[in-house]
Order: sequence, then structure tokens, then C-alpha cells
Amino acid sequence: MEKVELLRRRAKELLKNGEVVMVIGFGPGTRPDISQPLFATTPEQADQLTVDSTCSQNLATYLLKVKDRGRVAVVARGCESRSIVVLLQENQLQRPNLYILGVGCQGVIENGSKSVACTVCRYPNPVIGDEMVGEPVPVSEPDPAVTRADQEFDRLSPDERWQVLSEDITRCIRCYACRQVCPNCYCPVCFVDASMPQLLGKTPNLSDNMVFHLIRALHMAGRCVECGACQRACPMGIDLMRFNRRVAKTVRERFNAIAGTDLNHPPALTQFAPDDPQEFIR
Amino acid sequence: MPEANVFEPKIVAFLCNWCSYAGADLAGISRMHYPPSIRVIRVPCSGRVDPFFILQALQQGADGVLISGCHPGDCHYLTGNFVARRRFAVLNDLLEFCGIEPGRVTFAWVSASEGERFARLVTEVTEKVKQLGPNRKLRKEQY
Repeated sequence: MEKVELLRRRAKELLKNGEVVMVIGFGPGTRPDISQPLFATTPEQADQLTVDSTCSQNLATYLLKVKDRGRVAVVARGCESRSIVVLLQENQLQRPNLYILGVGCQGVIENGSKSVACTVCRYPNPVIGDEMVGEPVPVSEPDPAVTRADQEFDRLSPDERWQVLSEDITRCIRCYACRQVCPNCYCPVCFVDASMPQLLGKTPNLSDNMVFHLIRALHMAGRCVECGACQRACPMGIDLMRFNRRVAKTVRERFNAIAGTDLNHPPALTQFAPDDPQEFIR
Repeated sequence: MPEANVFEPKIVAFLCNWCSYAGADLAGISRMHYPPSIRVIRVPCSGRVDPFFILQALQQGADGVLISGCHPGDCHYLTGNFVARRRFAVLNDLLEFCGIEPGRVTFAWVSASEGERFARLVTEVTEKVKQLGPNRKLRKEQY
């Protein structure tokens, strides 16, 4: 638990010296198997900080909600740092108002086993940060089972693919937990909430559910850092990362871009190249 | 008289004001024949076409969608179609992924002078959508 001790010490120092007004990290939750976000404004509160595999959310989400408070420190694993990069690129955060306490991440537990997003993670360590707490963790090989399952899915016929996805998506209750936990879903009025004009039906049905998830995946194109927080937040256990992985793959293969890995490369869909491949256009 | 049981597809066409709409116009004033299956929606630029429009058309009863704009480099707004192209590439892949039949949604560049190409395009797209049959996947029940 040396990493946690180091983290608490640094957080307390930052708060005591007045360098930051708040440290955002994880603290104990109501259940032992899941931690919850902790917003420490005093050194005493910072003593509750923890960081382990029960920390499910992406803390970058909360930075958007406290951005007017002054300088805020955030405990950032790989995913959080990449989300922060995307938010900085989109001018949602100001770098001087951030203090990034980087930590390496061993993956997050979901329903007793390692979260799917974490099994294919290639960025367990922060990509930007003001300091690193503890040692970086080694990058492990992506689990081939996930890639194999994706390839098998791609080999199905269109009707079979639709069938498989329909069975999953039809269970969506449109609670929008996936949207709420996502650090990159920050539109003041989401297209699903618009009522004048109403853009999408509000009640759960297959057509509206599918369009919601497709458009969400499209809005995430070139921006999703594949942290998997949406899937872990889903009360219905829908395989949401399947959409995000596919879109990330498209963006990687077509535009040679990986979201949130380089501050100097803005999100792929805000850019273009005159010679982008266009074999699908007649 | 059209036969009662023959499937006549409804195709929504998003045409850019500066090229494809003018191309459709040229096909018209040149008296070229093409199937009356398309419903044209004029947009200022192919960059105006949000992928959501396309999905919404399919939800609300379109059997096919055609999106057409200026050739790359000819955009009235210089780069609108380049940005649109990236967006459409992702949409196209995602539609394929979720099992919407290839050919349901067609992207094409048509310039203002390509009236003949436009007429041919609509003929081919209509044929393709006829082959695929009515859109049943994304359509909402009430449409």
C-alpha cells in the first residue's frame, strides 16, 4: 500500500500549501467492492484517498463540474489522463487550473473479474501529468480473446449482426448512465434531451435505442479513450464497449489516430487530410 | 399503371446546394429519365449532413438514403466535404457493423455538370434498394 500512502501524503501537502483548492480522487464507498469519488478540500479528507481496482469511474468527468473553483488536483490513471488530453484539446479545461497526480493502473474490477476495457488497455500509465506517484506499471499485452470475439462478430452476416446487437440494445432502459459517467459527453443539451424539436423518441424501443447508441458512438469517434466507464455504469449490462471499440478501430485504421494520446494532435474528426481514403464513396 | 404488389422504395436524398442539387437540376432540364423514388432535401453543403439525419430518415420510413456533395476540392466552402468525408467514413463502418445492409445508405460525389451521372446514380441506387427490399431494421413501428 505504499502507493496509496504516497498519494495521501502528496494530496495533503498540496492542500496544506494552498497549491490546489481540491483533490479529486477515490475514497471508500458504501460497499467494500466499490470505491466512490472523493472530493477532498482539507488535508483530513485527503487521508481517505485510495486507489485500487475498485475505482470504477473516470474522474475526468468531475473536473468539468469544478472547473470554476480554481486549481484542482486530480488523481489520474491512463484513462483519466487521456480524457483530460481530449478535454484540453476541446478547450473544456485549462491546463494551469489542473494539477495531475499520475498513478499507474492495474485495471478495474467489474462483477468480480477484470473489466473488458482493461483487458485490452494499452495505456495504463498517464500520458500527461505534473508528477508520478509510485512506479509506472508495465503495459500488458491486450487479451486476444476480446479481439477474437470482435473478429468473429464481424464475420457474421448483416442480419445476424443486427440480431445479436438488437437482443442487447433492446434491453436498454435509456437511463443515460453511460452518458453521465462519460467525461467526453459534456454537451449542455444532449440530442436525446432536446424537446423543441424532439430529435429522438424518449421511450425505450429498439429503433430509438439503437439510434441513441449509434449516435453516441459517432459522437465519441476519435474522442473515446476506451476507459469502459460507460459499460461498468450500465445497469442492464449492455456491451457498450463493442460500439466504442469498433469506432476507435475505424479511426485508428483510417486516420491513424488514437484519442487522447497526444496533446498536439486534435481529435481525428475535427481534422481532415485531402487524401483520406474514400473507397466507400461513389 | 403500376402493379399493386411491386415494392417501390422511398429514398431520401441529401443533395448539396452547389453541386449535386445543380446536377439533379441539370438531369431535369436535360429531360433525362430516372426513377421517381427519391425525395430530395437540399442542404447547404455535404458538411451539413449530420449522421443523425441519415439514421432519422431510416427511422421514419426511408428505405434508402443517398448523400451527395461536391467532389473533393470543389467544395463551395473549401473544406466542408473533407470534414464530412471523415464523418461519413465512421458512419459507414458503424452501419456495416450494426448490420444495416450495404447499399442502404449511399455516398456519392456529383458535380453540377454531371446530370447524366446523377440520373444513372439514382437508377442504380433505386435498383439496389429494390433488391434489398423494405427497410425493416431501423424503422419505427408507427412509420
